[in-house]
Amino acid sequence: MPAETPVPAGFPDGFGRGPGETDALLLLRCLLGPTPRSLHALIWTTGSASRALARIRTGGAGSDNDRAFLQDADVGAIRRGLDRAGARFAAPGDPDYAPAFLRLADPPVAVFARGRVLDHGDDRVAVVGSRRPTSTGMEVAADLGRGLAVAGVVTVSGGAVGIDAAAHRGALDAGGVTVAVLGCGIDVSHPASNRALFEQIEASGTLMSEYPPGISAEPFRFPARNRLIAALSRGVVVVEGAAKSGTRITAEHAVDLGLDVFAVPGPVTSPLAETPLGLIRDGATMIRGTADLLEDLGFAGGRSGERGVPRGLSDDERRVLASLVTSMLPSAVARAAGMPVADTLTVLIALEIRGLVRGIGGRFERTFKAAASQPVG
Amino acid sequence: MYGRVIGVTVLGVGGHPVTVEAFVGRGLPSLTVTGLPGAAVQDARDRIRPAVEHAELEWPLRRVVVNLAPGNLRKEGAGLDLPIAVSVLVATRQVPAKAAAGHVFFGEVSLRGEVLPTPGVISVAIAAARRGLRGVIVPAANAVEAAQVDSLAVTGVATIHEVVGFLRGTWRPPEIGTLTTDPVPSGSADLSEVRGQDEARRALEVAAAGGHNLLMVGSPGAGKTMLARRLPTILPDLTREEALEATQLHSVAGLLAGRGLLRERPFRAPHHSVSTAGLLGGGSTVLRPGEASLAHRGVLFLDELTEFRRDAIEALRQPLEDGRIVVTRAGGSVSFPARFTLVAAANPCPCGFWADPQRSCRCRPDQVDRYRQKLSGPLLDRIDLRLTIPRLTKDELLGASAGEPSAIVRDRVIAARDRQQRRYAALGITCNAHLPGPIARREAQLCTDAERLLGRAVDHMALTGRGFDRVIKVARTVADLAGADRVSERHVAEALSYRTAFEQDAGLARAG
Repeated sequence: MPAETPVPAGFPDGFGRGPGETDALLLLRCLLGPTPRSLHALIWTTGSASRALARIRTGGAGSDNDRAFLQDADVGAIRRGLDRAGARFAAPGDPDYAPAFLRLADPPVAVFARGRVLDHGDDRVAVVGSRRPTSTGMEVAADLGRGLAVAGVVTVSGGAVGIDAAAHRGALDAGGVTVAVLGCGIDVSHPASNRALFEQIEASGTLMSEYPPGISAEPFRFPARNRLIAALSRGVVVVEGAAKSGTRITAEHAVDLGLDVFAVPGPVTSPLAETPLGLIRDGATMIRGTADLLEDLGFAGGRSGERGVPRGLSDDERRVLASLVTSMLPSAVARAAGMPVADTLTVLIALEIRGLVRGIGGRFERTFKAAASQPVG
Repeated sequence: MYGRVIGVTVLGVGGHPVTVEAFVGRGLPSLTVTGLPGAAVQDARDRIRPAVEHAELEWPLRRVVVNLAPGNLRKEGAGLDLPIAVSVLVATRQVPAKAAAGHVFFGEVSLRGEVLPTPGVISVAIAAARRGLRGVIVPAANAVEAAQVDSLAVTGVATIHEVVGFLRGTWRPPEIGTLTTDPVPSGSADLSEVRGQDEARRALEVAAAGGHNLLMVGSPGAGKTMLARRLPTILPDLTREEALEATQLHSVAGLLAGRGLLRERPFRAPHHSVSTAGLLGGGSTVLRPGEASLAHRGVLFLDELTEFRRDAIEALRQPLEDGRIVVTRAGGSVSFPARFTLVAAANPCPCGFWADPQRSCRCRPDQVDRYRQKLSGPLLDRIDLRLTIPRLTKDELLGASAGEPSAIVRDRVIAARDRQQRRYAALGITCNAHLPGPIARREAQLCTDAERLLGRAVDHMALTGRGFDRVIKVARTVADLAGADRVSERHVAEALSYRTAFEQDAGLARAG
C-alpha cells in the first residue's frame, strides 16, 4: 500500500518507549507479513507501536496469518525464549539499535542482538563478498579482517560461508571485534558449518538480526539483511561477487547511505570479479589489499594484517615464484623457470609449505601472502 | 552292468575330480542321479538321453542309476553332462572301459549330441594334472585353454560321436593349434597417446612401480579414463604363474571365448550400478567370480567412485587387504583370488567443475562438503596416490610434448620392482604399497633433508599419521624409480605433490 505523502525518516518521538509500547513492538517485530517498509509507514500513519498493532488486529493492515499469530502470541513466552538464547531485544534508542539504522528508508522497527552490546563509538567497516569465493578471495578477506582488527576497526559482515566467514575469522584471529548481521533468527545457527564461528563472535563481538527468533535462513532475506550491514558501517569493502549478487546489493545500499565503497579487483575473465570491477568502473575505490584500505581509511602507515611474511627465499624459490604468473601446471612452471620438472616440484612444495603458493586442481598459483610480501623482482 | 569314468566339478575357481559311476539294472526306464547333484546336474538327466540317441548310440531302456562320488561334495555345473553320458556308454559296453579309464571328461552336451563350450576348462585341466591323470577330453572350443597346462594330453571334441570314436580308436582329434597364447592385439592403448598430463603420466608410473592404488579427481573430460586404461600397459608382463591364475578366473566366468592363456593384464571397469555380488563374486547356485577377481593381477577401474553402492565399496576392503575374496552361501563357501591395483576416478564436486579454470562450478558449498565426505572413508585409506587431473586449456594441450611410449616407462617400472623385490625378500612382500606403516618408516632410509621436509609438511599441510605413512611409501617408490638407495628431499617433495585438491584444501583451512 503506497503512502500518499512521503514517509518521514526515523520514527515518531517516544516510539517504542514504555512497557506497553515495548511489548507491542516486540509483537510487531515477530510478524512475518509486513515488510520493514510497510511497518515503517504504518507506524507513521498510526503514531505508535500499540496503535499499529491494534490496526493489524482489527484487519486494517497486515495479513490473516499475522492475525492468527497474534491470537495466540504470548509476549512473556517470547521474552523467555530470547533470554534462553542469550538474546536482547532493542528498540530505536536502545544501545543495540544503531542510530545509523534510522537513516535507512526502511529502518527496522527493532532488532535482536547477542554478545557484546553495540558500542556507538566503534569505527566499523563491512567486508562482504561471495558465498562461493576463490581461495585467493578467502585469503584477501581474512587479511582485511586481520588488518582492520590490528587498526582497531570493527569488521562487519553477514555471517555467511565464504568471504563473510573469512573476514570474521580474520578479525577474530587478530584479537579484534566483529559484528555479524544474520539473515535468520537470532537463535538460529545458519549455516551450521559456522556454528563455532558464531560462538566465537558472540564471545567478543555482536550477532545481530532483524528477524523473529526461530526464523530459518532463506536467500530472499539476505538482501534486506544487507542494508543493515551497510548501515552499521562507515565503508563497505567488496572482495568477490558475481554480477547479480547480494554483494552488489550491499554496495548499492552503501551508495544510498553515502558510504565509501571499496572493491578488490580480480581477473576480467572471472565471474566473481564482475561486481568489484563494475563497482570500480562506477567510481568505487580500488584497493589491492589491506594496506590500501587502511591508508584510504586514514590510518597512517597501514600494513597488511599478515604476520611473519617470510623473507630469505633462495634463488631457485625466487625464480619459481617469479615464473608463476597465473595458475600453472608444474611442467609449465618448469619450462618458464628453465628448471627440471623434479627440481621445480621440490621448490613448489617448499613454497607451498611456507604458504606462498598453493596447489589447486592440479595447478599451482601464488597465494595472497606471496603478493602481499612482494619480494619478487 | 556297471561303468565308471572321472569327471570334474568346478566350485569357485578350483576343479574337484568326481568319480561318476553308472549302473544299468532291471526296472522301468529311468535315470536317477545321486551324490549331491546341483540344479544344473539334475538338468542333465533329461538332456543326456536325447544327446546319446542323436549320436546313433543306444540308450538302455532300463533303470539307470548314476552316482557322483565323493558324496559329501556339492556338484555344480553342466560340465558333468559328458562324464555322465560316457559312464552310461561304458556300462552298456558301447565304449571300452579300458579306454575311458584315466581320462577326465568335461563338457556340457546339447540335445543333438554336441559338446558345447563350458566355463572352467582350465581349472579342470589343472585339477586333472594335479591328480596325475594322463588326459582330458574337453569341448573343442576350450581345448586351447586346457592345453596351457603342461604334461597333459588334451583332446578337444565337438560331439559325443567324436568322443565315442576317440575311445574306440576310430577317430583322431585334429592337432590343437599352436596358438598357446593370444597375439598382442595391434593398436592397443599406449601411454604415448596421452597428450600433456605429464604429472598424471608420472603418477601412473609411480603407481605401477610401487603397486600403489590410485585415485584420480578431475573434471569430466580431463582424461581420467584414458589414463586408467593405460596403466596395464606399463605394468610388468604377467608371469606364467600369474597368467594361469588370471586365465582360470576368466575361464570359470566363461569370458575366455576360446582364447588360451591371458597375456595382457586384465583391465576391468564395472559400471557404477554393479551389485555387490557382481563386484565381489557370488550368485545363487553357481558362485561366479566378480569384477574384482576378474581384475586379478591387473587393474580394477572404478569410474565415478561416489556413484557406486556404499556396501559394494566397503566390501572391497577385504580383497585390498588379503588379495582374495571369500564368498559364503548356504551351500558352502569358496575363495576367489583378487589381487589387483585399484584405480578410482571421481569428479571434484557434484557438477564436476570445481577449481576448473574455464567453467565455473555451480555447486553450493554444503553440496561440495557432502560430496567430499562421500569420497572419504575406509576405502580411501588404502589408496596411496591421490591425484588431481586438470582439464587442460587449449594452450596447454598445444604446448604439450609427445609422451614416452609405454614400453620405455615399463622398463623403468620393472627395474624399480626388481629393487623392491630384492629389498623385501626377507619380509615376504613384493612392493612398497604392501609395506606396513612402521616398517615403511624404517625401510625408507630417509636422508636428513627429506626428514626435515616431512616434518614441515606435518606442521603445515595437515598431514595425518596415515597420510604420513603414505607419503613415505610413495617417496620410497619415487626413489626406487630413480635407482636411489636413500629417499631424498626431492623424492618426498614429489610424493607430497600427490594429494587431491580436497587434502590441499584441508591444509589451507588449517594454515589460514
